[in-house]
Amino acid sequence: MTSLDAHRVVDAVWKMESARIVAGLVRMVGDVGLAEELAQDAVLAALEQWPESGVPDNPGAWLMAIAKRRAVDHLRREERRDRGRERLAHDLVTRGDDGDRDVDDVLGALDGEVGDDVLRLMFVSCHPVLSTEARVALTLRLIGGLRTDEIARAFLVSESAVAQRIVRAKRALADARVPFEVPVGPDRAARLSSVLEVIYLVFNEGYSATAGDDLMRPSLCLEALRLGRVLADLTPDEAEVHGLVALMELQQSRSAARTGPAGEPIVLHEQNRGRWDPLLIRRGFAALLRARQAGGPLGPYVLQAAIAACHAGAATPEETDWTRIAALYEALATVLPTPVVQLNRAVALAMADGPRAGLALVETLTGEPALKGYHLLPAVRGDLLARLGRHGEARAEFERAASLTRNAAERAVLLRRAAACAGQAAEPARATRLPEPSAEPPPAAGRAESGERVTPRTAAQGGRAGGGGAADAGVTLGEAVRLFLTRAGLSAGTVRSYDQTLSRLCRHLGADVPLRDVAAHRVAEVFAAAWGTAAGATWNRHRAALRSFASWAAERGWTAPGLAAPLDRRPEPRSRTRPIDRSRLRLLWERPGIALRERTLWLLLYESASPAEWALSLDVEDLDLPGMRGEVRARGHWLRWQSGTAALLPLLVGDRRRGPLFLADRRPGPGRMPAAADLCPHTGRGRLSYERAEYLFKRATADLDPEGGGYTLHRLRHSRLAHLGEDGWSAPMLMSLSGHADARTLHGFVRVPRPADTVA
Amino acid sequence: MRFLMTTKGTDPNPDAAVIAEMGAFIEEMTKAGVLLATGGLEPGGLRMVSSAGEISVTDGPFTEAKEAIVSFALIEARSREEAVELARRFWRIVGDGEGTIQQVFGPEDGPQDGPGPR
Repeated sequence: MTSLDAHRVVDAVWKMESARIVAGLVRMVGDVGLAEELAQDAVLAALEQWPESGVPDNPGAWLMAIAKRRAVDHLRREERRDRGRERLAHDLVTRGDDGDRDVDDVLGALDGEVGDDVLRLMFVSCHPVLSTEARVALTLRLIGGLRTDEIARAFLVSESAVAQRIVRAKRALADARVPFEVPVGPDRAARLSSVLEVIYLVFNEGYSATAGDDLMRPSLCLEALRLGRVLADLTPDEAEVHGLVALMELQQSRSAARTGPAGEPIVLHEQNRGRWDPLLIRRGFAALLRARQAGGPLGPYVLQAAIAACHAGAATPEETDWTRIAALYEALATVLPTPVVQLNRAVALAMADGPRAGLALVETLTGEPALKGYHLLPAVRGDLLARLGRHGEARAEFERAASLTRNAAERAVLLRRAAACAGQAAEPARATRLPEPSAEPPPAAGRAESGERVTPRTAAQGGRAGGGGAADAGVTLGEAVRLFLTRAGLSAGTVRSYDQTLSRLCRHLGADVPLRDVAAHRVAEVFAAAWGTAAGATWNRHRAALRSFASWAAERGWTAPGLAAPLDRRPEPRSRTRPIDRSRLRLLWERPGIALRERTLWLLLYESASPAEWALSLDVEDLDLPGMRGEVRARGHWLRWQSGTAALLPLLVGDRRRGPLFLADRRPGPGRMPAAADLCPHTGRGRLSYERAEYLFKRATADLDPEGGGYTLHRLRHSRLAHLGEDGWSAPMLMSLSGHADARTLHGFVRVPRPADTVA
Repeated sequence: MRFLMTTKGTDPNPDAAVIAEMGAFIEEMTKAGVLLATGGLEPGGLRMVSSAGEISVTDGPFTEAKEAIVSFALIEARSREEAVELARRFWRIVGDGEGTIQQVFGPEDGPQDGPGPR
């Protein structure tokens, strides 16, 4: 066997076994990063030995045995005092590895089942402390066994970006001391939905691949399917898991039929159904059946799978049961109330009850800010208008849709339809071409909704490149750090502590960047992002490390003085109201299924940094929507919000012209009728109370709050102030935004200006 | 990538342990979506020949028993190497015999790669 062959065999075996091997190792050593390193050692050993010895009988067990031996060595080296671990290490050593046993035998005998470890690893890889793109990368890497370069090719980003993402993710898991366990209790549902979201995101990334793409991209669909099937096997009682698998199997069954010879998309009802894959359809139906058997309320994935099944079950487009599909969309709209779902529902309604019914629903969506710029809205509208014989209007819609889509093939189809409308003004409506309704998954719906969802691709585009590396560019950041840390006379503890600070800096700014190009404000950004919300003592420790490094480097003329100047010492007893971590808030904003009123209120509080009482006191007539502000009349203060709130407010206001902006869920009982000013003249409902709003926010954030109690609205507001302070806002700016009357109450949010700041 | 694995010359009367092990293997592979279809084949079968517009049907057997294909499996794997590794596991359970692994071309493989149905 040549080493090239060996490479391919090892790679294939690794892909099949990595999840179980890494999962088993994480249980042994308690750290994802270390476990993966140990596993990689085993892969290297295989690459060395297999060309000589041939592939062993049981290659998975062979890899596991090697990795396990490395783990034992490691545990011994660490000389952990934890007796349990010592005993484990002892057992592992004395048991002897003949390499013949199955991975399951070797690991399963230790503690629990291998399958449980894989499940734990999935939950850990999709943990909410990680960004979405980090979850995707880590899951593909650890569970799917994909190499970094494969992930990079699939997501059209650089290999170093993926590598960095994975390194950071592993570190974040270690920093947060994420336990290696399957969550139980109320946490479980949210954590599971994060796992499902990651898998479906991978699927959609593959599904959106086009003809010219690297083959790695479409293969993401198969990767997601595998992940889903593994998960379904491990969590057989979770209806939504089976629902997701069913949805993916059914969508994948159409993969051969959904593009034409030139790569142009073919809409569902024009596809050649003979090219749908009956094997996958059968698997999809079987998975859907398992979802139904698992019971429970119908979740978004099960409902979407049921819709896909309606299509898959129809031998011809004419046989499609549109009435049932419309009903399923209606149910979906209650659990996933996004405009995109409504749009799909309109398509189904048009098919079930005629274009007029569909158009009526579409017209209610034309004002949706979330659908602004979404090409399928005018495409659907144009189609329905054409079917009603309103060709002039239809043509304009198709042209608008064509101008909005980024897919060239799709644009061509839309322009053809526009031209057909122009030539057809006198003729009756003809063939119809609707977007494929069930191809619109929740993450995509979320994408359309927020418009600023972090996808792996956009995140990578935002990534920073390292330095140019020209020979005369001077000493690089990485070199300087190395020299700084290897100076004589430093204690091991000091080196370790300084290294934490400086290696973080290297990771974020790039070790190759010339030190003299490192600007103080960039350093400050890294600090704010890394430790901005940490305890004052932590911040000060990192600040001290940086100051020491900066003055040392400045002495050598490698950097201008003042590299650490923008960083102020922080008071060590924390401010009373600790800010909520930005990453947690991002999770909250990204979460689907939050009611419009809640989402609007929270975003408004965050964006305006105003007290909750003020926001709740707003009346519809106080709003200046174009100016993105609203007047708190009792205070004579204007709340100012930003694009997130601006997008939602029109939806919340609807047709209302006056009365309280945020309304209670129900009309007040006769005994507790509020003042007229607190009653909505349109709906008869009262103003949303502070207590109720506080309760809802606490309940919704309980799973984000490490302390478990949920956050207060007050804390949400102060988080914004803290984040703006980190971003460099001055006290007067914060005061005018937030309405804080006294600058002293802003202490802790802003840094006191120094001469260095005013110069910069 | 899909692959068709066929086997011939395996023990026609495997013992209970092999049957049980094979059953577990098939179940695991099916759940994982690796195994799409599998089955055993009758030893003889019918032979059909189409020649100059004439279609003739004759009863088997046509080959020696150890040359006849006795089972098949249609699998979904990420690479040829992975298919081989799966087949290895199969043979470790079955014992002696021989077989072939052939890629099944799909639409994604393009016209230049093979005469797959389009």
